[in-house]
Amino acid sequence: MKKAHIWPALCLALMPFLPAQANEALLRHNCGACHADPANPEAPLSRISEQRKSPEGWEMTLHRMQTIHGVQLSDPDGKSDSAGVLFQLLKHLSDTHGLAPAETVGLRYTLERRHNTVDIPEDAEYAVMCTRCHSNARVALQRRTEPEWRNLIHFHLAQFPTTEYQIGGRDREWFPIAIERTLPMLAAAFPLQTAEWEAWQKAAKPALAGRWRVTGRMAGKGDFNGVMTATAGNADSYSVALVGEFSGGEPLEMEGDSVVYTGFEWRGNLRADAAGDKEQYLQVLEASADGSALTGRMFPFDHPERGIDLQARRDDGTPRLLAVSPAYLKRGTTATLTVSGSALSGAPLLGAGLTVNRIVSRDADRVVLEVTAAADAPTGARTIGVGKASLPAALTVFSTVERVEVSPAYTVGRVGGKEGSQPEVQGRFEAIAWTNGPDGTPGTADDLRIGPVKAQWSVAPWNEKAAKDRDIEFAGSIDKDSGIFAPAAAGPNPARKQSTNNAGNLKVIATVGEGESAVRGEGQLLVTVQRWINPPLW
Amino acid sequence: MRKHLHRYSRLGVAALAMLPLLLAGCATAPRDYMAIANRPNQVSLIDLEDRKVLRTCPLPGRFGAGTLQMSPDKRTAYVLTNQFENIYGVDLDTCEITFSAIQSEGNTRIKTTAAFAVSQDGTELYVHQNPSLLLRDRYEVQEPRLAVYRIADGLKAKPVRTYSAPRQVIVMQTGNDGTLYLGGSDIYAMDAATGKYTLKLASRSRQEPRYSQRDVLSIWPLGQQSGEFIRMYTAQRFADETRKPETAELMWGYERIDLATGEATTGDFGPLDVVLFSGMTRPHHPNEMFGALSQLQKFDIAKQQLVKSVDLGHSYYCVNFSSDGSKVYLAGTYNDIAIYDADTLEKLGNIQLPGGDQSLATAQVFPRTP
Ligand code: HEC
Ligand code: HEC
Repeated sequence: MKKAHIWPALCLALMPFLPAQANEALLRHNCGACHADPANPEAPLSRISEQRKSPEGWEMTLHRMQTIHGVQLSDPDGKSDSAGVLFQLLKHLSDTHGLAPAETVGLRYTLERRHNTVDIPEDAEYAVMCTRCHSNARVALQRRTEPEWRNLIHFHLAQFPTTEYQIGGRDREWFPIAIERTLPMLAAAFPLQTAEWEAWQKAAKPALAGRWRVTGRMAGKGDFNGVMTATAGNADSYSVALVGEFSGGEPLEMEGDSVVYTGFEWRGNLRADAAGDKEQYLQVLEASADGSALTGRMFPFDHPERGIDLQARRDDGTPRLLAVSPAYLKRGTTATLTVSGSALSGAPLLGAGLTVNRIVSRDADRVVLEVTAAADAPTGARTIGVGKASLPAALTVFSTVERVEVSPAYTVGRVGGKEGSQPEVQGRFEAIAWTNGPDGTPGTADDLRIGPVKAQWSVAPWNEKAAKDRDIEFAGSIDKDSGIFAPAAAGPNPARKQSTNNAGNLKVIATVGEGESAVRGEGQLLVTVQRWINPPLW
Repeated sequence: MRKHLHRYSRLGVAALAMLPLLLAGCATAPRDYMAIANRPNQVSLIDLEDRKVLRTCPLPGRFGAGTLQMSPDKRTAYVLTNQFENIYGVDLDTCEITFSAIQSEGNTRIKTTAAFAVSQDGTELYVHQNPSLLLRDRYEVQEPRLAVYRIADGLKAKPVRTYSAPRQVIVMQTGNDGTLYLGGSDIYAMDAATGKYTLKLASRSRQEPRYSQRDVLSIWPLGQQSGEFIRMYTAQRFADETRKPETAELMWGYERIDLATGEATTGDFGPLDVVLFSGMTRPHHPNEMFGALSQLQKFDIAKQQLVKSVDLGHSYYCVNFSSDGSKVYLAGTYNDIAIYDADTLEKLGNIQLPGGDQSLATAQVFPRTP
């Protein structure tokens, strides 16, 4: 089977700045052959002006124009190649027909490639009609006129005739339902014109150059702490350097570029050549309206599951406390805590029952403390401060881990990695520790979340069938310390019944603590076959 | 009622078997053949007694779906190909393409899932069409229709009549009296002369207090060897009308039209343990239902019991039988045919096809003189 298409990065090398007029001309040149609508001077290019979507949404549409409709992108002036024109059009369409930040709330999981996210819409009919092949976010991250939603439904059935014969299609009158019930719902819920978009178009867009303090977390590697520097280029682009380290001690050093779409959609393209890590990382961050924060995720292009959750705060000289790592401390123990922020100065303020034994090191970005919690220190999440800076709920003091939750509770791994196949998709797990709270009952409102803790990892068959098929022997293996599950190779395995592939249904077990007091948590990992089409929006 | 079924199907098969013999008027006894399409895009005629591929005929265009129906004289195979768009009639003895229905035209793209059939007298081809208008900047789904082609029109065939038809029709078959059966969300009976159709067997629209809605995925027009047009359904069967989920049993059932009498029957035939893709009753053993995918399973319809199940070397989508009902032929998916003993489910052998996967192709087995 051929290697699936690699989707072009949303940000390519820095591009020459084109005025809006030139962009319109580029659109007409590349799209006019099929989309020119001289009868409508308001919208001279049919369809294109009647919908809005994310940069990734536009990327998918443009990709389809190329693959299904044979569009060859070109620059009439011969200055850019087709990749350059693609970028130019993506930028222009996202800026002029994008989404307002408010329109992406709760749906960023798909932009951030969090493929474990479960998002089942409340409207059960719509959920089956529209979210059984792709995520709800692929739909809800678009705004269209009613005729455009109608066109989209027609496109689906004309292009994918099996839609009405598959499970979730053949159990109903798919097409009549889509037109009679789903269409009015979509047109009402996701109209082209919205107050949010009106407001965002008028709003001043933040400039994002500067020094950024970055904190974050990566399953298997721990908390991240670093600095990102963004230097403005032209046309909303930046050159970017990111330097930092994980709490496990592993350093991270990357350089690259970023482009900001629609005034807030930061897409960075970073590489760590120095460390011999040639992997290309994509940053998908959302800029806050005031330009003080960037939030999202970065991940290797081929391995979205290996992501780092990131929060960046602009270092503008204001004292700010951003994170404490680890973010928990057990009563009656001593630990080294790293307090991260910017412009940090002054005394650490930890609250009752915690004693700073010594300051291990400090600078404006971070203060490393050796801290002892008294046996009777008040439990719960507490505010931590350094001088004028403070952060609520920065540290949780607890007495015992009473419950462990495996996160994600359910995930899909994929076999792969052999030549000519898709890269494998790992399972990456964290053990989230909890106490049951004063009422002693798990799952109630007073439970205290301690946070991700070290665990010993193992797998077991999920059910009887998995045991019978010996899934745990074939599907792959989990690293007992990091909680990273490496799936087996793709393809048929002659050692398995009917030479089936290395799929498996596994229980992922985290054990925290030892002996009598050990607490276990369980998650589910379904190892399945490769996905051949990996578009930017699932 | 089952006795009744039995008698008719026996008669049907006997008559069919005799027909070519009488027509040919020669002394050679009829034997079983199979016609099957596979990749890259070809159709083969197999002598099932010698287990030998006699001839492989190339087809124009790209492969898919590979659905196949035989002419009544069993000389011409009609194959749906070119990505579900064209139907070609191929003379299996000469590989000559004698008929073609090129459905798409201009900016109308027409796809047929697996729903087409040949009239009893061999003069007409009935096709369920799903047209879409491919406009310059958008697509528009059109209403489905039933198109009738005159086979005598050969390579230039265009529909001679079209009727409106229900959506979601996947398989079709003609009964002995010429009635056209359309397998969609329900099974409809159409008069091919007028296009009038009526509900023949309620499936999705069936309201049964003790059952969930039925699910049917049948893309193989099977059953002629047993004188039937048959599809399998799955449904949850509850203990009583309160439909408590914890009492649900997953059942397999059949929806059957007797091609000789037009009688429609339906009911459960056994518990669902494994997924099966296609199935039909065994010739001369109307109480035995066979189904296949990763397993070959045999059910006792009256007792609603699984009689026997064997694991297959790999999956086979398409079940069929020898005329005497002694052998099961499994086709589809990869590029071999597997032969099993219908009594014991013992494996008897394989026939290797030249070329690649059969994928969703339908294997038709039929008796004729060489
Ligand atoms: C060769 C003809 C052709 C060209 C050139 C072309 N398109 Fe299209 N476009 C189509 C067709 C046909 C459709 C409808 C089918 C579909 O949605 O894929 C379409 C649909 C669209 C849609 C609606 C998609 C949706 O999800 O509803 C957009 C937006 C679009 N095109 C944008 C563009 C842009 C931007 C360009 C120029 C880069 C372009 N097209 C160039 C043929 C073309
Ligand atoms: C049978 C599977 C399936 C179902 C059901 C389905 N989709 Fe899709 N959808 C797809 C595929 C595949 C694509 C990608 C098309 C492409 O660009 O190649 C897609 C693309 C989309 C896009 C992006 C199109 C663009 O170019 O901007 C939207 C929006 C969308 N679907 C909405 C819907 C809605 C609304 C429904 C329900 C009415 C729905 N989908 C049901 C398979 C499905």
